[in-house]
Formats: sequence, structure tokens, C-alpha cells
Amino acid sequence: MLNRFWPSLWPAARLPQVAAVAVALSFGAPAFAASTEFKKAAVPFMEKHCYECHGGKHTKADLDLKTFKDDRNILPEYKTWRGILHQVNTGEMPPKKHPTKPTPDEIALFNRAIEDSLAKAEAKAKPDPGRVTVRRLNRTEYNNTVRDLIGVDFNPAENFPADDIGHGFDNIGDVLSISPVHLERYLDAAESIASRSIFLTLPKPPSRTTASIFLEPFGYRSENGTRPLTNATPELFVRHDIKVAGEYVFRVRAGATNLAEGEPVKMTLFAGDKELTTVTVTNPPQKWKEYEVKLDLPAGEQRFAARFENAQTNDVNRMLFVNEFKVVGPADTRSEFMKRVDAVRAGKSDVERAPAVVDWFLTRAFRRPATKEEVARYARVLEAGQAEAGGQFEAGLQQLVKAVLCSPKFLFRAELDDRPKTRDAHPLDEFQLASRLSYFLWSSLPDDELLALAAKKQLTANLDAQVRRMLKDPKADALVQNFGLQWLQLERLRTFAPDRTLFPGFDENLRKSMLRETELFLGEIIREDRSVLDLVDADFTYVNRTLARHYGIEELAFPNSGGEQRRFGFGRRRSGGGEFVRVTLPSKDRGGLLSQASILTVTSNPTRTSPVKRGKWVLEQILGTPPPPAPPGVAELEAQKELKGTLRQRMEQHRENPTCANCHQQMDALGFAFENFDAIGRFRARDTEGPIDPSGTLPDGSAFKGPAELKNILKEKKDLVARNLTEKLMTYALGRGLEYYDERAIKRTMTELAQAEYRFSTLVTAIVKSDPFRLQRGKDLKEQYESGE
Amino acid sequence: MNHVKISRRTMLRGLGATLALPWLEAMGPMTSWASSTPASQAAPNRMAFLYVPNGKNMVDWKPKAEGELNELPMILQPLAAHKRDFSILTGLTADKARANGDGGGDHARALSAFLTGCQPRKTDGTDIRAGISVDQVAAARLADQTRLASLEIGTEAGSMAGNCDSGYSCVYSSTMSWRSATQPLPKEVNPKLVFERLFGSGSREERARRDAQRKSILDLVKEDFSELNGRLGRTDQRKLDEYFAAVRDLELRIERAARLPEPTVPAGAAAPAGIPQSYEEHVRLMADLMVLAFQTDTTRVCTFVIANEGSNKPYPFIGVKEGHHDLSHHGNSEEKKAKIAQINRFHTTQLAYVLDRMKAVKEGDGTLLDHSMLVYGSGNSDGNAHNHDDLPILVAGKGCGTFKTGRHVVYPKETPLNNLWLAMLNRMEVQVHQLGDSTGELKNLA
Repeated sequence: MLNRFWPSLWPAARLPQVAAVAVALSFGAPAFAASTEFKKAAVPFMEKHCYECHGGKHTKADLDLKTFKDDRNILPEYKTWRGILHQVNTGEMPPKKHPTKPTPDEIALFNRAIEDSLAKAEAKAKPDPGRVTVRRLNRTEYNNTVRDLIGVDFNPAENFPADDIGHGFDNIGDVLSISPVHLERYLDAAESIASRSIFLTLPKPPSRTTASIFLEPFGYRSENGTRPLTNATPELFVRHDIKVAGEYVFRVRAGATNLAEGEPVKMTLFAGDKELTTVTVTNPPQKWKEYEVKLDLPAGEQRFAARFENAQTNDVNRMLFVNEFKVVGPADTRSEFMKRVDAVRAGKSDVERAPAVVDWFLTRAFRRPATKEEVARYARVLEAGQAEAGGQFEAGLQQLVKAVLCSPKFLFRAELDDRPKTRDAHPLDEFQLASRLSYFLWSSLPDDELLALAAKKQLTANLDAQVRRMLKDPKADALVQNFGLQWLQLERLRTFAPDRTLFPGFDENLRKSMLRETELFLGEIIREDRSVLDLVDADFTYVNRTLARHYGIEELAFPNSGGEQRRFGFGRRRSGGGEFVRVTLPSKDRGGLLSQASILTVTSNPTRTSPVKRGKWVLEQILGTPPPPAPPGVAELEAQKELKGTLRQRMEQHRENPTCANCHQQMDALGFAFENFDAIGRFRARDTEGPIDPSGTLPDGSAFKGPAELKNILKEKKDLVARNLTEKLMTYALGRGLEYYDERAIKRTMTELAQAEYRFSTLVTAIVKSDPFRLQRGKDLKEQYESGE
Repeated sequence: MNHVKISRRTMLRGLGATLALPWLEAMGPMTSWASSTPASQAAPNRMAFLYVPNGKNMVDWKPKAEGELNELPMILQPLAAHKRDFSILTGLTADKARANGDGGGDHARALSAFLTGCQPRKTDGTDIRAGISVDQVAAARLADQTRLASLEIGTEAGSMAGNCDSGYSCVYSSTMSWRSATQPLPKEVNPKLVFERLFGSGSREERARRDAQRKSILDLVKEDFSELNGRLGRTDQRKLDEYFAAVRDLELRIERAARLPEPTVPAGAAAPAGIPQSYEEHVRLMADLMVLAFQTDTTRVCTFVIANEGSNKPYPFIGVKEGHHDLSHHGNSEEKKAKIAQINRFHTTQLAYVLDRMKAVKEGDGTLLDHSMLVYGSGNSDGNAHNHDDLPILVAGKGCGTFKTGRHVVYPKETPLNNLWLAMLNRMEVQVHQLGDSTGELKNLA
């Protein structure tokens, strides 16, 4: 344990200051010969230093340490003990005015006693999957759920209040609260969703008209809004992107000139290569006649053409003229949701219809089979709404949707326990498991396949296959967007404002490009199932022109010849700097999350880099060993003198203060390694204070010359990186903070991860199959400990 | 600074041309409470709390002498035109913003203890807890008198990432109003949504129809609530109770909307388009909405977080490129302190605008400001030292003749800030004997 970078003895709670002191003390090499048994080591310590205020007579801060005569009840009071150790180790307790002051040896022994007791208790403890507080859908989940439930995708949650964040994520049941404003917005959103997805009057089929001048081949000047078809150009066409498959009408407005005895002018209409119809055109130009044909089209690009079948070179009297093309459709203008509802209604009797629709909808919206009572109640809503609108079904459907979207059963992910009295861990029901899975990987509701498996009680047996399927689904992008960006704290980049005069190149385009790089990078780790250690250092990344210029690799990324790189188009999400390409990076310094502009920027100040913030970021987000907050009174210390010299020198003076040295030695070294990257992530060899020295030494003695070597050192800290990611992802997956009883699941996940070369899918699968994810418990287990088991 | 007339052009710049807000403009007297109400009915008292983060450069805030305000220190100078309408209260303390054994996190505590006087529980996840805030005590008691019990606004949405301050959830440093110890009230930062919240959208008939529909939806979801009720664990139940309270709240609003007279929105006032690009215009627009809410008696209680506590916003438009929070740890650098004072002064310039607006609304024989108690201040005193005694607190308005303004009042050290809240509650005819760590009503206000 002690050879770990930041030895974290109880990583679930991560109070590394405890460990830091333990390390510091171990240099003094106190012989741990004394017994570390709780009664012999901890109790005397408390007698001497604590009981005066926290024992029997006085119980300041409601803490009575005399209740701990032995270590039997220590585990349930785990957090209390963490707090006690923290205060003792940071010197906050006993207070200065207290007559006794514990020696370093005493403190070390006390630490050992408590840690040993906790470890012993943990080994004996019953498995406990923990309890997850009922989770309200957060904004992202609401949007995605509505998208997948109703098929409208317009960010209905845009106006919801911001979601509260706990343990670094916005999906933690305990902190997601609900206020009157929320409910008002839910009603607003529900009304808006209902009217966008259910039409009381069907709109006319949309039509796309193309005047002759815009028909291909281009280059002909139109006269009087018409174009002749000739022997040289016997065919005119237009291409349309057909978004929805269905029935369409292709209509051509045409006319012809001909001699009375001339051969009839024949025109053939095509969709793609398919001949649709051939007609005889007789009306003269300006007295246009429309020729149309109905056809079924698949979604995708479609070519519509008209051809003059019997054009002749020498006959100027016989000509075909086209005035315009029109493509009208799809004929069925019901929304996707209406079509799905109608399919459910089809073939049912009048009495059956409403309950069938309600049952179908509630089962999806509530993510479990609806009860009879629920179906009956909501069917009344539908029928009442229908009756009020003079019998129109769609009006009733709107009412149903509005009511369901405001129900607590939709807005909360309640996991009702069918055995609430059972204290022992028991499995969640399969529908609840399906929801946990889909909200974890998709931030949305379970799809039909998951629901079907749950209905057959076969989901648990098929978790491996389902995880693989779900990670391949485009919906798994939610994992990048929600988990990834929150874990890396990149949400801040959206509003981050580097100083405009110092960094005139930082604009919206660059900001979006930075974010997109990290998204694509994380996406590849997930999609290609790469090792999670690649997050720390990798030889590839994604850049568009903007970012390539920013990194000084434009030639490499966009050689004139084109190159072999895979190209990623983003449709409408394309950012201003053009499309992204995957590049193999030329320098070992750039590569991996730590050297991406997004992260380098959010860990800087608006005007300059902040090695401390960068170092802290690495400790917190990558190694999972956050430094403790600055001790109280640090401001007064700072005020004693003004620091002089270069940034590095000022930080060195700062570290002369022993209170600061402990943590800053580490943070500063990590941060200065990235000084070659300026406050918006550009490479620089020197700054205003002279050439940059990115070398350093970590507290454990490992030295490095620059970012490349540092990343190698970090990449070797596999356990820390893996544990950190496991803890973060598990927190996100469960929607609660981790507790002491999750330690087993964490360790097991880490073992599996290491055995599978740190592949991302292994991490996800191990979490999904872990006890905390699959199991629940009834009553608080605390009672059991207290009853002395 | 003199009473500056804001030209229509100035206001529209940056807001988009579609955004015509006639009530934004300083164009003389506006519709008022008293003009549309029988003269016999006196204007009600209002309370507003405006919060600015990271403390102050106190030497530039605190007037030199006690007693009548004469020469104003640098930060207060923008308020010169309003010298007779506000007082500076020195010596007040927010003890519960101190560590009291909880270590770092002064920013998180400063805001969450400011109106509650309760020690916020140190947690970045579970068990968020502070206390009910003074505005919500008033709101709960006055709820049936106005269409909205209270209004919570700000300029920066909640948390962006992670724990915001040394192990405290972001909720603490972004929330000022607490409906109960465990229920922080999110603030609205989008002017458009504030407007809609105040006045709804659509015609009166449309709103009535929608309200009726909503009422039946609420009836229905209450049945779903009761099916879940009692079947979940204790913490689950708390979340569900929040939901139920929100349902009740909305039902009451609908009921009040039907009963209370329609607010007289100044002619032509339309919903703002969205959040202005410029921070200054954003602050002013939110302030306009607060004034409008008071003026139309849509609510009498408002909290306004001008920037979240610990905010690291740079102010390049006044020549301060560095982040506010980074600067506040000035390490005694004179240059940094001067910049902090610049930021502080920028904020009081906005306050001057608010007071301008409130004075422009005539009510009976006075102005809206005469019938208000507006508090402006921070839960941190010096941003470098993070001390929570000797807070910068300004009270403006006459509180319907219950405040004597134009003074610098110095209280004994460690006088609880909550004593001021208690005094204000009693001036709203909300009789409360204790709130948070109060020890009695603050004296020497009238």
C-alpha cells in the first residue's frame, strides 16, 4: 500500500491528507512495535487528548467518543472516524488551547489503530449493496427519454433549472431536488411535447418545388421560366434528400410545341433508374399541364428526372419544355408517435382501444408493466380529453401524454422493492435492472429489446451481450457527453473566458473544436474498446483545421494530397473549423487527455497558466487522490510577505512554508510539467519569464524531463488510474456516492479490468454485474451492526 | 453618479431589436400600486436581497465616520445620488459561515448561511442541509396575498462541475433561498423565463383554460403520488414530499390567479428574448424584472444572486481580466486590491441603477423604494481573509417608514446578521422570534 503514489488506505472515502501524513511520518520511521489494537492504542489516545470535550460529560459537536470502548461499532460510524482522523492529522484537533499535544508517533499509532479496526470490520461485514435514493430524471435524461418515448427531439428540458451536482455528477438521487419551478416547467414542457407530437389537424404533405432554372444539368439560362429539352440535353433532374420513407407524388409541369401532324411528344418520368410513366405532352408552353405519378420511396437521397423520349436533332418544330418539378410527400403526415399509437390501436374494438394505448404507453413511460388500476385511471384521462374535444382521439391522447409526463412515476426512477422488509441483499426486479442499465449507458429509457428480456426475466442472464450491444448503439454517446465531460470537468469549458486581448485566437470555433476533440477521443476509447490507460497517454487524437493550426500540425493533419485518415463528418453538428480527422501525433509530449487543449484551458486562469490547478486536476480527475483543501489560516500566511521572481520561483518560496509544502510539492511538479502548453493549450518553448523548464521530481522520487516522461510515469500507476475511473464510473452508474461496503465491488472490478488489458467494455460489464448495481436491500443495515452482529 | 436616463438605443443594443421593453426606459413615472388601487389602501412593504460574492475591498467600502453619510468611499461613490436612501450597517456577523470545525469552504458557507443563519452541512453529495432562509419565512406567511410567493433570480446558473468549494456541494455556493433546511430553491437566470413566470403567456382566457387543464393533471398525478407514498425508503420519501409540496404550491398559484386581480403590466411590456450577451445588461434586465414584479404586486419577496459565491468571472469590460475569485486571494498586492475594488464598484453601479428604477416608480405619496427594504451585501467580508464578521451590508429603502436611511451604523462586534433579518420580518408583519442564530431584533434601524 505504501508504495502507492498517494497511498490511500481507504480509497472509497479518499481523504488523502490522512495518507499524506502517514507517509511523512513513515520517514521518521517510528517503530510500530506498540500494539495497534483499538483498546490499547486508540482508547488511551482519546483519554489523553479527546475525552475532555468529547466524552461523557461534554460531547461537543455531538461527539461522544466514550461510546467507542472497543471497535465493534466502528464500521457503521465510518464517516465519523474518517472525520476524526482528518482533524487529528491536520492538527485541527485537539485545538491549540488544549493542554496536551499529541506527538507524531502518537498520531501515527492512532491512525494505525483506527485503520486496522476498520479493515478488520470490513473483512467481517455482510455484503451490502447499499441504497440508491429515488432519482429524478435530470435534464439530459428527460430530453433523451422524451426523444425515445415520443420521438420528438427539441431539447424540451432547456428551461428546466440546472441540476444539482453531487459527487461530481448530475445524476445523484440524493441531491436532485424538485421545486415548484420544476413542476411549472414540467407542465410547460409536457404541453409543448404533446402539441409537437400529436396533431389535432394533420398538416398538408410538404412539397418541394424546383423551378426549371434550378434543374440539373445547370448552366442553361431560363427564358420565361422554362427550359427546353433537346437532343443534346434530353433529360432534366433534381436530387432530394428524402427524410421519411412513404408515399410521394412526383409532378412535372410541362408543355410542348409540335406540328399538327408531328410525332407525339413523349416524356418519361424517373425516380432513380426506375421508369415511372411515359406521357404524351400536348399543351403548348404557358398553358402548362401537370403530369404526375405516385410512388413509394425509401428514405435517402433520390434522383427525380424527366426525359424527352423522342427528341430529334433536326426538328425544331417539335420541342418539349419543362416549367417546374414538384415532389410532394410523404402523404402520411402523422408524426412518428401517432403512427406508433395507431398501430397499437389497429384492429381493436372501441372498448379495447383506449386501454390498449394507455397500457402500451404507460409501460414505456414508467419503464415497467402498468398496473390495472393505472391503466383504468389514465384511460379515463384519455377518454375525458377525447369527449371534451367532441370525440377526437388525438385530443385525448394529448391529455394522456401531458399527464403521464408530469407523473412522479415518470419523473422519478422509483425502484419499488417487493421485499422491503428483507434486510439481506436481493436482486432488483428485471425491469428496474433494465432501467439502471439504460440510464447508465444511454441516459434514456430501456428500449423494446431490454423490456422484452425483462418481461421474460432473462436480462440478468444476458448482461454481457446487452452491454456490448448497447455500447455499440449511437445512444451510447451519452456516456461521452454526460459521464465523460463531467468526469473531466469540461462542462466549464462552455462558459470559460480566457482574456480576449491576451488570447485573441480563442473564439467560439476554437472552444467547440477543443471540446469536440475530447469527445471524439473518449468516443474512440469506448467504441474501439481500447485500454483506459490510453486516456493518460495515446499517440493519436482528432483535429479539425482550427485545432490542427492551434497545435501546429496542420501540414500533418491536412496534407494537400488527402491522405489515408479516416474522416468523421458530423452533419449539422459540424463545428466551424471543418471536419475532424484522426491523426497520429508526431510528438510524445502531445497525446492523451492531459495535453488536450480543452483540459489545458479549463485548468488555467483567464490570463495565464496555473500549474497548481493543472496539478490538482491530475490528482483529482486522473489519479483520484485529491489534495486536501488549503488549511485554515493560509491567507494570513500568504499575507506575511510578497513573493518575488518567476512563477516557478514564487511557487518554490511558497513551498518553503511547511504547511504548504506537503501538497504543493506534488501539485506543482505535476503542473509545471505542462508549462510548455500555454493557457489555451498552445505549445510554447518560452514565456515572458524566459525558457520553460518542464522537468520535475515527484515526492516518491521519480524524476521526469517533461510531459512525455511524466505521462509514462503516470501510465505506470495503473492501479490508481483504474481505481479512479472505476470509482467515478461506478458513482455515475449507481447515482450515489460510494461507501465502505462498495469496496469489494471496486476491487473485483479492478481485478477484472487488469486481466482484460484494461479494456473499457470490461469496466462497464464488471460494474453492471456488480452487487451494488444489481442488488438492493431493505432496511438500513446499520441496525444489524448495532445489534452486535 | 447622477440619475442617468438610459436611452432606448443603449438598452436595445445587445438585446436584439425584437426586444422592446418600454418599462426598461427611464421615461418618467410608471404605473404604480397606488394608482390602480384605492387611495385608502397603503402600499405594502417589500423585501429584496441582492448578493455579491467574494467580499469587498473593505477599506474602500466602509465609510470613515459613524452617523450621517457624508463623503462616500470609492466603492460607494456610484450611489452618491441615493445617499439619503440607504444606510451602511457595519459589524454584522454571519457566524455560521465560519468553519466551526468544518475546515475550508468559506464561499459555499457564505452564501448558504447568509439568509439562513444555519451551519450548512459539509457534503458534496448526500444530505444537503442548511436552514430555511428569511425570504422563505416571509414568503410562506405572505403566500396568499400575491400571485407568486417569492421570486428567486440570478445571473449564473447552478453548478458547472464537481464540488464547488472544498467538499461542499455546488448547491451551497449558488443558492441563496432555502424553502426548508433540505430544499434549496433554484434561481432563474433567463429573463424571458422570469417574465413568463411572473405574467404567464397568452391571453387571460387562454391562461384560464390552461390552468383548468393543469388542475386536472395535478389531481391525477396526486393519485400516482399517493400510490408511491409510503412504499419507499426514508430519503426517497423526502424527495417525493418535495414533489408533493410543488404540486400543492402550483395548485395554490392557480387558485390565486383566479381570485386575485390581474396585474397591470405596463403597456407594451413584452417578454425579453433571452439572456443578453453583456453581463451588465443581464444584471440590469433581471433587476428590471424584480422591480416590475414589485410594482405590479406580483410578489413582495425577491432574492437576487448577482454572481455566485466564489465566482471567478473576469470583468474585462472594466479592465479587469483576471477572475474575480483568483483576484480576491490578493496576497496583499495593492494592484490586485485595486482591481477588486473596481469590481466592487462595478456592482454598486448596478445597485445605483436598481435604486434609480425603484425611485422612478411612484406609489401614493412616495416611491416603490420608500415601500421596500432592499439589502445588498456579501457573506464574506475580506475575500482574502475569508472572514465572516464585519460584513459589508447595505440596506436601502424606507421600509414603509420603518427605516431611517442615510447613515453609517456601527454595531457591536459579533452582532448576528440574522438579527437584521428578524427586524425585517417584523416589518413585513411576519412575527418571528427567532431565525437561525439570531439573538433578538436588530436595533437602531429607525
